[in-house]
This record gives sequence, structure tokens and C-alpha cells, in this order.
Amino acid sequence: MVADWAGDNLVRLPGRGGREPEDMADDNTIMVQRTLRSGQSLQFEGNVVILGDVNPGAEVVATGNVVVMGSLRGVVHAGAEGDSSAAVYAFRLQPTQLRIANRITRAPDGEQSFSTTPEVARIRDGMVVIESFQTGPERQG
Amino acid sequence: MGEVIVVTSGKGGVGKTTTSANLGAGLASAGSRVCLIDADIGLRNLDVVMGLENRIVYDLVDVTSGNCSFRKALIKDKRFDNLFLMPAAQTKDKTAVNPAQMEALCSEIKDDFDYVLIDCPAGIEQGFRNAIAGADQAVVVTTPEVSAVRDADRIIGLLEKEDLREPKLIVNRMRHQMVKHGDMMSIDDIIEILAIDLLGVVPEDELVVVSTNRGEMVVLNNNSKSGQAYRNIVRRIRGEDVPMMNLEDSGLFDKIRRIIGLK
Repeated sequence: MVADWAGDNLVRLPGRGGREPEDMADDNTIMVQRTLRSGQSLQFEGNVVILGDVNPGAEVVATGNVVVMGSLRGVVHAGAEGDSSAAVYAFRLQPTQLRIANRITRAPDGEQSFSTTPEVARIRDGMVVIESFQTGPERQG
Repeated sequence: MGEVIVVTSGKGGVGKTTTSANLGAGLASAGSRVCLIDADIGLRNLDVVMGLENRIVYDLVDVTSGNCSFRKALIKDKRFDNLFLMPAAQTKDKTAVNPAQMEALCSEIKDDFDYVLIDCPAGIEQGFRNAIAGADQAVVVTTPEVSAVRDADRIIGLLEKEDLREPKLIVNRMRHQMVKHGDMMSIDDIIEILAIDLLGVVPEDELVVVSTNRGEMVVLNNNSKSGQAYRNIVRRIRGEDVPMMNLEDSGLFDKIRRIIGLK
């Protein structure tokens, strides 16, 4: 996530609603360079970037966005303190359970998606929707 | 008021969780109101075996530490409206709960159910003491192996010390062919050592693995021998008098031998 601070046409990253991009720069973000395994829990005030997988039985709780550069198979909670503009990004988004702000979702029973492209989950019109991840500001709505 | 039954074994991998899930589903399908409690904090499995993992929001530790009411943490099974699961916490360990809290929880829960089954962790440490704290009765699961029977014996001693007298025995993964060839302990051998009442014998069955991996319970499969064994155990728990199943393998050769009168 690189924003051109000098430019006028700054990228509005989802996750901070109507706030100015500069606000994101003040937020905490941590990078975690390992795989979270069953029983491990990562809780953080801010954004979390995981350079690895999140296995079933592991959980990531962040007040901001969550980015997983790998498979997300565990439980994830973005916007844990009520930020409904927070989003979850993963190379393979297959969470046991996905929570954004006060919404809790899970895959329907007996249905498994095997999307091999990066996806993003966020709240649109009060519902958690999952879309394929496209780069570019205009597509990020 | 319901009955609290702890499913325990001492040794790991003998089938406590599988037994808990199957007895729970079996009792529920027979019409009882059932609550399963996963007491294996930090290594929870019962939710996975029952296919309910993705429904967990609150867990046992949230309840015992007062974060939420037990009703809020209970997950309703997807097959039965009268079967509920209290999941264990996965990111905590056994010390997050103490026996007094478990006792209080069990006595609160059992008013709402006919049966409360507690899936005990392996071992004899705090996890075990937590699991048995609120129990009225105990079911000991073992397999026909010397090590499992040894651990079961130890567990029975500990249960008796905690005033859980007359635990019942389930022998799991029985392979009749091996017993016949003298390669496996027989039921009689096991009973002779443990000297407790036999609740049932479950034969080794590949279908158990298949259904477990799918989050289903073999007790609901009418075509499986192990499912039949679990259904019989369920009926015995509910107070019926059911004769022990004939595990004699009626394979092709046996049938032929019987027909030509060699047996």
C-alpha cells in the first residue's frame, strides 16, 4: 500500500472510510513474518500484515485492516472496535469465520470456495461481501 | 435435572472425542436434550469432529470467566435441535479454568438438559481434574492395547478417589479377527484387569475416519457396524437392556464354513 503523498490524486484505501489518506499514515501497522498456527492469536490495535498463512484454529484480531500474504483459513476479525470500513485481504481467502466490525460470517455449510486469486472482504450496504482483489483506486470503491 | 457424564481415558488417541460426539448425536436422535462440553482447552477437536468449528464465537473460558452466559456460548447442532456444543477455547490453556468453575457450570447447565457429556482431555493433570469436577458419572474409553488398558486402570483409580464410583467401560477399535488369532486382547482380558461394567464394544471401522473427516457422526449411519455399536450404547445409557452385539465377523469364509457345516 503505497500512497503518493505529494500527489493530489491520493489513493483512498478502504479501511478508514471517509478519512483522509494521511490519517492512515498515523495508524499502526505491523508485519508478521510467519505462519499463525492453531491456538495462536494475534491481536493488534491497527493494521496487520501477515507474510505467511493463518491456519485453522488461529485467530487474527485487528482494529484496522488485515492483509494475509498467503492462505487465510482461521478466524479473522478486522475493525474489531467497530470500524465497519475495515477490510480483509488474502491471497487465498478461506476463513473458518470472518468478522468485520460487528458482523460475523462463515461459509455456507457444505460449500467451499477454492478461489485461487487474491480476494477482499468488506462491508457493503451492511453485508459482508467478498470480491476478487483488483488493484487500482477506482476499483477499490 | 440431567445427568453429567464425563468421557475419559487417560491415554490419548483412543477415541474420547469420537465417542463423545457419537453418543451425543445418538442420544439426541433418540430424543434426549443433550449438551456436549469440550473440556480440552487448547487442543479442542469436538467442534471439528461435529462440523461446527465455523460457528464458534464464545467458548468455555468466556463462560467460566464471566464474559458471557453459558446459553450464549452454546452452539446448536446443524442436524438436531436438541443437541448443543459448548466449545473449548483454543488460544488458552488448561489453567484458564479451575475445577470449582467447572462444577458451577455443570450444575447450572444440567437443569436445561437430559444429558451433559464432557469430552475430557488426555492426561491426568488439571485438564482431567477440570473435566471430572462437575461429573455425576464417568465413561472410560479404552482400546484393546496394553498401554491404553494400563492408563484406563490408572484413570479408574483416580475417578474412584474423586468419588466417581462405578465408571462404565467402552472398548473402542476392537478387531475381532485379531482377537481370534490371539494377536489382540479380548474383551474378557480387559474386563479381568479393569473389573468394571462394560457399556459397549465398538469395532474398528473405516467409516469412523470417513465421517469424522466430514464433520459427521457414524452413529447416524445405519449401514455401519460401529454406528450400530454406538446406538446400542446410547440405548444402554437411556436405561434399556440391550444385549452385546455379536462382533463375530460374518465374512465370506465364515458363511461358507457355516453352510458346509464346518462350524
